[in-house]
Amino acid sequence: MVTIYINGKAVQAKEDEMVLTAIRREGINIPTLCNHDAIEPCGACRLCMVEITKKDWNGWKKHVTSCLYPVEPELMVSTHTPQVLELRRTILELYLARNPNSSVIQKLAEEHGITSTPYEIIPDGDNCIMCYACTRICDALGCHAISAVERGHEKVIAGPLNQPPIDCIGCLSCAHICPTNFIEWKDSDGRRSIWGREFELLTCKTCGKKTITRDFAEYLSKNRDLPMSYFETCDDCKRLDTAKTMGRLVVMAAEVAK
Amino acid sequence: MNYRFVVDPSLCTGCRTCELACAFSHSKNLKPGKSRIYPLSHAKDKYVPVTCLQCNDAACVKSCFFDALKRNEETGAIELNLGRCVKCRACVAACPFGCALIDDIHDEIVKCDLCKGDPACAHFCPTKALRYTRLPI
Ligand code: FES
Repeated sequence: MVTIYINGKAVQAKEDEMVLTAIRREGINIPTLCNHDAIEPCGACRLCMVEITKKDWNGWKKHVTSCLYPVEPELMVSTHTPQVLELRRTILELYLARNPNSSVIQKLAEEHGITSTPYEIIPDGDNCIMCYACTRICDALGCHAISAVERGHEKVIAGPLNQPPIDCIGCLSCAHICPTNFIEWKDSDGRRSIWGREFELLTCKTCGKKTITRDFAEYLSKNRDLPMSYFETCDDCKRLDTAKTMGRLVVMAAEVAK
Repeated sequence: MNYRFVVDPSLCTGCRTCELACAFSHSKNLKPGKSRIYPLSHAKDKYVPVTCLQCNDAACVKSCFFDALKRNEETGAIELNLGRCVKCRACVAACPFGCALIDDIHDEIVKCDLCKGDPACAHFCPTKALRYTRLPI
């Protein structure tokens, strides 16, 4: 355990923890977009910026991304100084220029009192903020299906060579983790489309409800040692089956007891 | 793990009080959550309260790539850490008993967490078909 100071208050933090974790535990709200517990932090969105200093720094201060900064003994963290707020506003102005149509960005900017941006707006800018949350979660799954392709202005998240990703299993983890809801997907007629690919959705053999994609089920069964039979029925029907099996067992137990 | 959640289907009358207790004790923002327990009829007037069995070698834990599901050694319950969950629904599809659920109202994955060691359903069950008892050691 180490002691750090957040806005002047002494708090205990675990050694290998990041400053952001300690800030969150204190219930202090600072905006983040690219941070998620399931993936390693990567400091892409820059919104979690805080000011740090130490007693022996002779008044020197530093601005760092708290999601990537490990706690150190006697670290003094300020989360809402005028400079930090100014930094956050600038970042949001840049986002407003790049993603003018994103409702998430608009809302966040509004919360910080920003409605316009001094930077040149990309009118048809998409919702992607290049935070790599999607590629990081895909890597965590072990699929490595998507990544950044092209360079500079043209940089986008896509499959290799900007083609539909062959390693994608249609699990939607990327779409759910995306902070700005950029990744589009659709389920219709028992098929799921995402990243320009189509997947077959498994159908419950009892009631016909659609569950996950066949590729995802096969991936789970192969890598996590789960029999494919687990995926044949939907959760509702599996519960009913459980009730029937247990009911049978109760009757059997009663007969044995007699 | 000195406690066990005991389900005795022969005492269950299918009154669904447990469902209500569960939904209300898991409310969020003044909206009841999805119940994690279901008394289901398997024959006329015969019910089994189906809920998570907190399996030893649990399929949900195995299926989760992000370590969102972990056993709480104190209560014995497998708990879902919502912060790590990305709603890929692997656990929902994998649980062979159908006890990992999708809460559409709160847009979350939910499962029985034994109410952190004090199950509301057991408190409210009028016939004591659901019990949370200390194991004889
Ligand atoms: S949360 Fe720290 S940079 Fe995005």
